[in-house]
Amino acid sequence: MHIVDGALSLPVLAGGAALALGGVAIGLKKMDYDHLPQVGVLSAAFFIASYIHLPLGFSSVHLILNGLIGLALGWAAFPALLVALILQAVFFGFGGFLVLGVNTFNIALPAVLVFYLCRGGIIAASPKVAALWGALGGASAIALTTILVAASLALSGEAFVLAAKATLIAHIPVMLVEGFVTGAAVLLIRQVKPEFLNISEEWDHD
Amino acid sequence: MTKRLLSLLLLGWLLLPLHALAHNVIGGVYAIGDQIEGEIGFSNGDMAHEGTLVRISDGNGRELGQVTTDAEGFFVFTATERVEHHFFADLGAGHVVEMVLPLEQLPVTLAGSGSSKPAEPTKNGTTSNAEAVDLQQLQPLIEQAVARQVAPLRKELAAYKEKASLQDVLGGIGYIFGLCGLGIWLRHRQTASGGASSESRDNATGA
Repeated sequence: MHIVDGALSLPVLAGGAALALGGVAIGLKKMDYDHLPQVGVLSAAFFIASYIHLPLGFSSVHLILNGLIGLALGWAAFPALLVALILQAVFFGFGGFLVLGVNTFNIALPAVLVFYLCRGGIIAASPKVAALWGALGGASAIALTTILVAASLALSGEAFVLAAKATLIAHIPVMLVEGFVTGAAVLLIRQVKPEFLNISEEWDHD
Repeated sequence: MTKRLLSLLLLGWLLLPLHALAHNVIGGVYAIGDQIEGEIGFSNGDMAHEGTLVRISDGNGRELGQVTTDAEGFFVFTATERVEHHFFADLGAGHVVEMVLPLEQLPVTLAGSGSSKPAEPTKNGTTSNAEAVDLQQLQPLIEQAVARQVAPLRKELAAYKEKASLQDVLGGIGYIFGLCGLGIWLRHRQTASGGASSESRDNATGA
């Protein structure tokens, strides 16, 4: 998911940076500062998740967790992911500094979209329904990110359809794993710490 | 539900193409005499496809040549000039890598800008002509031998540099928590001094 330095053209880099900046500004403005620790925890979770490679078949995948981050944080996903991406670039050499804006936008925008699409689902009364919505959110965040990555590359000259198809297919396992993890996480958080998803006030069954 | 998910997972696994997942591209180039060997792969151990094009240029962008990788992501390029070699490969889907072979790793016997003349071996008057010629011939051999010995070390060093350690992980988490602490502190100061003036933030005032 991390595009590296040197793969994108200058206008795409600048555009991505501007969009990411806008997103971060909105995120900081909308962020409920009483939930700052939760932003930090999810930022840290994203930071680590890319580092842990889970073996899958002949290859390995790593979690991205932007669906879960979006569900929990909404627009605050932008600053959370920006911080984590900067640190990943510094410590792990993932991505790079020039593409930071593009990477932030590609990963955080799907998180925000998932927030608006699936937020209603995860506060449903039935845990099963909520978990399914969570899984859907987790998987679709990856799909959206994949499409955005392909679009960034296409704007820099690569053939879009081919690239999008290839990366989408390649990420099917990631989507499945991510959907499963996000669904399970929603289920667990609802039971043990509903305030983490800010849903404690909105329902009172168990 | 879990069973269904698992079977879906299995299906995904079977469909999985063996490349192009989100990983860093890593590679290394090593000179052995005038032969530059290099390899390109992903950080998870997959190597570049057979036939991946590697473009070689000098520091100023002048193209020096092109080679393609073999099935193991391995390529060999014969240097003809003693200049900095930049290797650039595009593995598709945004996976690009650029590797630089510094001038110092190439043998001094190669012609090119920035190369010093081969060291004059006849400094002291006692050396005879025959010995001087021998040294001239020996020099490339010595360079090759040394390079061959050093190449695995270079590889190991490059792999070591690529690997993030536990310190990196903990350091990153520390930064994130530190930033959070800073944010909370600033916020706290703001609410403490601003008092009721900054009540725009909807409800939740219980810390």
